[in-house]
Amino acid sequence: MDWDKIVQLLVNGVTLGSVYALVALGFSMVYGILKLLNLAHGDVLMVGAFIGWGILGWLGGAQDPSVAVWLLLVLMVLAAMAGCGVLGVAIERFAYRPLRRAPRIAPLISALGVSFFIQNTVLLLYGANFRSYDTFDLVDVEVGIHRGPLNIWVIRLVVIAAALVMMVALWLLVTRTKLGKAMRATAFDREAAAMMGIDVDRVIVKTFFIGSALAGAAGVLVGLVFGQINHFMGFNYGLKGFTAAVVGGIGSIPGAMFGGLFIGIADAFSVGYIEDFTRGRLGSAFSDLVVFAILVLFMLLRPQGIFGKPEVKKV
Amino acid sequence: MRRGLIAAAIGLIASAMVVTAAVAKTSEPVGLAEADCTSSTLGFMGPLTGPAGFLGQEQLSWLRFGVQKWNTANGTKFKVAPGDTQLKAPVALTVGRKFAADDDIWAIIGVSESQGNVVTGNLFEKNDLAMISGSATRTSLTTPGHPYLTFFRVVPNDSIQGPTVVKYVSRILKAKNVVVIDSQDDYSVPLAQGVTRGLRARGAKVSRESVSADDTDFSSIVANVASNVTVVVFATQVASAANTLSNQLREQGKKAIVFGTDGAYSPAEFKPKSGYVSVFAPDLHFDPAARKIVREYNTYSKKRPFGSFGPATYMAGQVAMTAVTKACADGEATRVEITKAVRGTNIPSILGGNIQFDAKGDVRGGDFIIYKVTNGKYSPVG
Repeated sequence: MDWDKIVQLLVNGVTLGSVYALVALGFSMVYGILKLLNLAHGDVLMVGAFIGWGILGWLGGAQDPSVAVWLLLVLMVLAAMAGCGVLGVAIERFAYRPLRRAPRIAPLISALGVSFFIQNTVLLLYGANFRSYDTFDLVDVEVGIHRGPLNIWVIRLVVIAAALVMMVALWLLVTRTKLGKAMRATAFDREAAAMMGIDVDRVIVKTFFIGSALAGAAGVLVGLVFGQINHFMGFNYGLKGFTAAVVGGIGSIPGAMFGGLFIGIADAFSVGYIEDFTRGRLGSAFSDLVVFAILVLFMLLRPQGIFGKPEVKKV
Repeated sequence: MRRGLIAAAIGLIASAMVVTAAVAKTSEPVGLAEADCTSSTLGFMGPLTGPAGFLGQEQLSWLRFGVQKWNTANGTKFKVAPGDTQLKAPVALTVGRKFAADDDIWAIIGVSESQGNVVTGNLFEKNDLAMISGSATRTSLTTPGHPYLTFFRVVPNDSIQGPTVVKYVSRILKAKNVVVIDSQDDYSVPLAQGVTRGLRARGAKVSRESVSADDTDFSSIVANVASNVTVVVFATQVASAANTLSNQLREQGKKAIVFGTDGAYSPAEFKPKSGYVSVFAPDLHFDPAARKIVREYNTYSKKRPFGSFGPATYMAGQVAMTAVTKACADGEATRVEITKAVRGTNIPSILGGNIQFDAKGDVRGGDFIIYKVTNGKYSPVG
């Protein structure tokens, strides 16, 4: 057993999983309240990554930042969260709200349209060139924890910690605040919530704002830890985030967190071990097979996911 | 009524046949169509956007610089039509079809990447359109079993790059444990296979990995790199990917260094603390004889950074313009004549020596050069 490799894959998996979890949370929150798969959610992450990149460039770039590194990182994340939050609200207002009483396929198609619209808008504005955060110039990769088999770059720690803080904050918001109570009530029964005096539209708008803000933060974290961003990156992260949401139980916040980490770790370990397990027949490039096989298995065997509850219909 | 309809249908068919016959009589195969010698367009095909967009932009900039210089010196009106392949074969095919159908395009400068040549080689051959690449190195583009009769390249191919890398890694770096990574495309897979075979033949233990050209995270691949591995040969067309790989190796405390192939040559994008890169043409920054042209280009481009890709494409443009001028000696030319003139090229090169092609379209002579990179600074070592 190669423990060095296992520890390292675990670190990689938790980093990836933290990002997937943030994306999955957005999917889950929107689905929980509207029963809508927001297929444009991955593209919101991509917009967040570009906002972060813009702020980084505006503040002098990675090689010569005009503010302290920690402040730069905070500003990048906050700007991306604010920008993506507003984008999420706009998407809800113009693409989903008019279709709220339409058959369920209509908002799904609208979501696909929004996804292409966002992707192509960014392509038009920034071109198809990959953009680099140059994080390796911002913080040297040797800064961090390097003890025995454990090697964690400080940026990875920042990513994991930031994701954790946001997940805990969201958990507190949903379970301990009035808005959270309203969100839970709306998710449970929208009409009954409205009859109890809850402004459902406002709750939905706030849900979109929070979910999209988390995706924006995830975009910056992806840019920071992997360095490269592009206009189609949202597709992959959206798909993996969706898988995480399904595995954890779509609509469930702890489920999204667990699903994200589970898929991230599965992703990292499949890259690390797929060749050994298939005796060299499949290389690391086929690791996505494992991740999406997990999705298919869950859809077949436990469609409600690990934390989800089976839907009971009154007949 | 029915008779009227039948008569109308017969009339329509007859008219269509007359029109078709007239068109057939006036149109000639594209290659035989005469081109206007006073206005000539070179179609550039390379990745202007996407992960290798910066390389394509460098090539296009050098090509335009060369065309402007040529026009000023010779009073000609050469133009460049840019075609963005995005480093994707299907996109290259679409651009290729557009250029092949355009009578104003007299020669293709490119395709920059091997996979683009694989999908457009037959198309351009059928249309008698010469394609002169400044960077496609896949060996089989010119081997007898896979010939594209109108394909030429001004740089040496991977049958030279592979052994050059193998020799350096085994003899100079004395690496006994090596990882070789490809990027799942027509360029990197055969090159990685060749390097793997060569290193194994010299007794090295080689592990193979494969990544996608769009990948930006290699941390789990790096976890597979054993601690006794000293060199990771990365056959890639994306220099920033080589940079990320290099940093992630350091992040995980691995002592292995990245040895990038020609696609990784970019002082702006691939800047490891320690590494190597092989490339098909010398970097003119290190050549005292090239000071004049470097100065001219810096003035033209307002000091835009460049590596080896731009100057090689500049030479591809020179080959095309020389051939067009030769074919136009009698005031008119065809694509067939231009291709024939390209085949007979013999012009001095800013990369050193003369450019001449062999029967397969490969440049005669030419070597790959190895650069050592230390803290992002490049220096030629072999």
